[in-house]
Amino acid sequence: MQKLKTKTWPLLLGSLSLAWLLSACSPASKPPTPLPPPEFTAITAYPEKLELKTGEAAHHLVLTGASTNGFEIDITFRAKFASTKPDIATVDEHGRVKPVQAGEAVIKMSAGGVTTSVPVSVEAVTNELALSFARDVLPVLTKSGCSLGGCHAKPEGQNGFKMSVFAYDPKADYHEIVFEERGRRVFPAFPEESLLLKKATLQVDHEGGQRFTPDSAEYQLIAKWIKQGMVYEHPDEPVLVGVKVHPSERRYRKEANQSLLVLAQYSDGSTRDVTALAEYDSNDKEMATVDHHGQVTVGKTAGEGVIIARFMGLVDIARITVPSDRLLPDKVYADLPLNNEIDRLVYERLKKMGYAPSARCTDEEFIRRASLDSIGRLPTPDEVKEFLADQAADKRSKLIEHLLADKSFGDHWATKWTDLVRPNPDRVGVKSVYLLDQWVRESFRSNKPYDQFVREIVTAEGSTHKDAPTVIYRDRREPADLTTMFSQIFLGVRLECAKCHQHPNEKWSMDDFYQFAAYFGPLKRKGAGLSPPISAGTEYFYYSPDGGTVKNPVTGKVMKPKPPEGVEAKLADKQDPRLALADWVTDPENPFFAKAVANRIWGEFFGRGIVHPVDDFRASNPPTNPALLDALGKELVKNNYDLKALMRFIMDSHVYQLSSVPNEYNLADTKNFSRSYRRRLPAEVLLDAVVDVTGVRDNYTGMPIGSLAKQAWTYKIDSPFMDAFSRPNSSSDCPCERDASTSVVQSLHMMNSKGLQAKLSAKEGRVKQLVDSKKSPGEIVTELYLAALSRYPTDEEKQIATKAFSGEGVTPQTVAEDVLWALLNSAEFVFNH
Amino acid sequence: MNSLKYNCAGMARRDFIQLGLGGMMGLGLADILRLQAAEAVTPATKSKKPVNCILVWLDGGPSHYESFDPKPDAPSEIRGEFKSIPTSVPGIHFSECVPELAKVADKMSIIRSIAHKDPNHGGGNHYMMTGAPTPVPVACGAFVTFHPSFGSMVSYDRGVRNGLPAYMSLPQVSRSGGPNFLGGQHAPFVIGGNPDSKNFQVRDVVLPSDISEGRAENRQALRKSLDQMLRINDKLADDPTVTFDKFYEQGLNLVASPEAQAAFDIAKESDKVRESYGRNDFAQRLLMARRLVEVGVSFVTVYYGGWDHHKDIFKTLKGDFNKRFDQGVAALIRDLDQRGMMDNTLVVVLGEFGRTPKVNKDAGRDHWPYAMSVLMAGAGVPRGQAVGATDAKGYHAAENVYKPEDFAATLYTKMGIDHTRVLHTNTGRPIQIVNGGKPMKELFA
Repeated sequence: MQKLKTKTWPLLLGSLSLAWLLSACSPASKPPTPLPPPEFTAITAYPEKLELKTGEAAHHLVLTGASTNGFEIDITFRAKFASTKPDIATVDEHGRVKPVQAGEAVIKMSAGGVTTSVPVSVEAVTNELALSFARDVLPVLTKSGCSLGGCHAKPEGQNGFKMSVFAYDPKADYHEIVFEERGRRVFPAFPEESLLLKKATLQVDHEGGQRFTPDSAEYQLIAKWIKQGMVYEHPDEPVLVGVKVHPSERRYRKEANQSLLVLAQYSDGSTRDVTALAEYDSNDKEMATVDHHGQVTVGKTAGEGVIIARFMGLVDIARITVPSDRLLPDKVYADLPLNNEIDRLVYERLKKMGYAPSARCTDEEFIRRASLDSIGRLPTPDEVKEFLADQAADKRSKLIEHLLADKSFGDHWATKWTDLVRPNPDRVGVKSVYLLDQWVRESFRSNKPYDQFVREIVTAEGSTHKDAPTVIYRDRREPADLTTMFSQIFLGVRLECAKCHQHPNEKWSMDDFYQFAAYFGPLKRKGAGLSPPISAGTEYFYYSPDGGTVKNPVTGKVMKPKPPEGVEAKLADKQDPRLALADWVTDPENPFFAKAVANRIWGEFFGRGIVHPVDDFRASNPPTNPALLDALGKELVKNNYDLKALMRFIMDSHVYQLSSVPNEYNLADTKNFSRSYRRRLPAEVLLDAVVDVTGVRDNYTGMPIGSLAKQAWTYKIDSPFMDAFSRPNSSSDCPCERDASTSVVQSLHMMNSKGLQAKLSAKEGRVKQLVDSKKSPGEIVTELYLAALSRYPTDEEKQIATKAFSGEGVTPQTVAEDVLWALLNSAEFVFNH
Repeated sequence: MNSLKYNCAGMARRDFIQLGLGGMMGLGLADILRLQAAEAVTPATKSKKPVNCILVWLDGGPSHYESFDPKPDAPSEIRGEFKSIPTSVPGIHFSECVPELAKVADKMSIIRSIAHKDPNHGGGNHYMMTGAPTPVPVACGAFVTFHPSFGSMVSYDRGVRNGLPAYMSLPQVSRSGGPNFLGGQHAPFVIGGNPDSKNFQVRDVVLPSDISEGRAENRQALRKSLDQMLRINDKLADDPTVTFDKFYEQGLNLVASPEAQAAFDIAKESDKVRESYGRNDFAQRLLMARRLVEVGVSFVTVYYGGWDHHKDIFKTLKGDFNKRFDQGVAALIRDLDQRGMMDNTLVVVLGEFGRTPKVNKDAGRDHWPYAMSVLMAGAGVPRGQAVGATDAKGYHAAENVYKPEDFAATLYTKMGIDHTRVLHTNTGRPIQIVNGGKPMKELFA
């Protein structure tokens, strides 16, 4: 690690003035600056050439101007278009090129005095194929909204008509339309009498309203298909293999517009413009919105967003980057302390976004934050005093070492992992719950390499009363349940969506899901044949490979084990396929594994993942800082999955040591880590903090006296405190993220709970001991501040609190209780900052 | 609490701020902005009174024979020991086990034809507490949640009103009464303890008994002046301490509200009323529930377990256990009616299933989901009505048969919540709050 630089940027400190607060808290008063008239140095068209076939629909062109200010601007709607040979191909004012007859033509475009052109070749199709359901009709029905989750794609359909959501099962959809309801939905002799068309055009009652009009292209297409005899697909029909969006990545000015072009790619190498048929979504509506036609409108904030284009189950994305209006001089970043690679990568990102990092946090803030984050407890008053008094330049690094070696480390991190794997005691029995809990704790106490931890789970065998990781299999009994869980917690990928249909925002298909599930197909379970006492739960044994196989429930095909984006597992005869899965998962080259856990750990230290939510990696939810995520993943692999080493790397960075108070240049940053983000203490950590500060322990049923809240091994251990602060309940069947929000129940509990009052006034408590020690009111106040807030009181605070000791009708005991009560009820106590 | 000095926004006046705490940058201003933020969330809308719900959960599964659906003409091994008695509604008969409820039959509807197929406590609890069946079989002892409970949904829909948690449960959470994906803030606020005991206090919403009002005032003043952490009030900064302040102020308002504080004090109820419910823990919880909905709690579950009568059902039902139920619920309905609270209070009384027609060898009845009786009253539920019927021997719901989903759709509709609403789980999966049920038309006269 490099030596700490302590230079700060004077402008930042100066900016934290009252005037700034005023301006920051009032709505923006400056009128938006009008965009200057665009001047282009060049314009380019996309695609660069068109190859069309007669009879096809129009193909869009998207025109981009390179402006003098360095931005690329969509000028499709401002350009003038002309065809050199309108008898071959025509073009309209929106840049839509329509083939007429075979031949060659050139489309000429001009804007702002600059021109370009696109050659078009039109091929004649003599034997026009009949329309097909899969290629032509289903996209139209999907685009018209028929197969939305709220309409006909509900699990039970809508009014007897059921389609598959996101069109994941085209064959079933075809069958439903052509054969179900005694064929009333389609009427080849008189297509216009088909119920399908009459409903969609509202000629008969339709709860979903009018989806298109009788003179629309959609209507014409479906009517034609019905008349032609309703082909599902042609024997040699090219298969859809990909979807591409243009432009895939671009920097925009605020409030800019962009037309997207979506091309479908087919197995014969041909492409098709499906801009009108694709569906669009934005991952962040503040950043950008997108309409039904693929028109993007960029929002008013700087940042990054993603537009998702979806066509027949395939997905592509367009990245939107909006730099801040005001970029800061390079010197701002060059002068910042550079403790390690994390800092360099975060500053690079901040520079691009025009954010300046907050000042370095104080030593008081650092010791509190670092202790809470790494070991889940407050520093003791002595630890605080010692740290503040230490003059060594590397005292923060020394503290980090000290914390990572603390005995609370294991229980703190085990709590986080048991959130993810803790079973429902009613499904596995309390004996197994305890067994698994202790195994997770021991793993983190001994800093077991993370790959080994995961391997032991993925390949678990044996008894649910002896071999702890098998308990997970007792809780998640089906291969599909294990797939959902393991992919989400170990890979950060929510394959679950693909259990029932194509993932709506990702490439994952049902085959991907069930190929993963196939690793667990051969796993066999056998009961011990003994009935233990009712609460313990029956003992089961797990072993492989004597079980069954896994099928894709739509195609009925038996699935072979294959990892997502990987190659089919090579298995020896009678080999447990889970061994191959563990090899793949923990391989240093695995594209998900190291990054997924690095992101999780990062999220614990910053209150927010680089990918957020931390278990939702997908193209349409990109990391805010991909280079940083890569670096963290590599660091972890380099250190053989030593989580402590990764934590040390993170805590050593200057970025981790930033203040939570924003400056004028990073107020709006909530995801690029230009400051520390405030976060409420988790239930267990907060309760242990209350116990430490008051000096009075809680007693938990089913746990030894003196146990910590973070050692609780089941949600059934009664604690209104932990319930109020949303500890997860493992009887709830979802891998639920911890709820970190605040609530009125929490406020009321801190304000009025009898338990807290009892702790404040207890004989053995900190308050009583301080009062009995004959310390002066000022000394008592100081000790209470050190215990609760890990800092000395300011002069004003000390004066206010001390003054209370001379009030009427009070005793030192009651005032000291009241001061501590006030501190425990303050945001500074409840939040990590 | 009346003595506390509160301004019209319900906040304690802050004498300390005048002392000149300008030491920290912009604190005064930040504080003012904080106050404004708190005011902005004070509920201002006073539309028509929303319906609140009291749900009495009879865990274990009460017998339909020994309550609202007696079969006097069935053979004795089915009929059991008890006779049927007339009620205040001509033509409707109850079991002699519920004589008090028979007297208030003219104020409620009994639905005799709800049926499902899950004979396990875990699954039955889930189905009748959430309106959704469990996707996998669930064993008898199980506590599971795959779907938000009614109370959690109502909490999600209504949010915190007047500083009051919207969903409370006495004296414990029922098995599937949790929030599932709606998150911990919609879990029930559990009020334990026995309201029939002398020192009963509702936890957390009132000052601890050894803290005087004056001392509480001092504490708040100290807190106000010592909570100096800078709040970042710009919305763009997304500072969670700003939300923390909003909730804290709501909590303060609740503690400062004489009306709310009175509601939590069951001792304020006259002896006559307390006696009418019965002086026991369950009945006094019902009374507490009435006081809670009166002050604006949206959904209160009163849990009353012990209905799993595999043995000695007749002996048990002759005793206090059943008498307390009969007297307490009848008193609740009568009380709500007399106070004019029926229109905006929905009372629902049910368990997870009915019980087997044939009395078993231990003089008990076993689990039977194919027929059960549910009591509903208030919120426009027609008075003096029996909906549907089981067959002659009480084996199966036979007329106007309804599913738990229909029951759920009815409950939500009465609560003003669209039962076809779609919510999204934390993985983005759309979930209908009720999958396919329709409100029971007989309950919307």
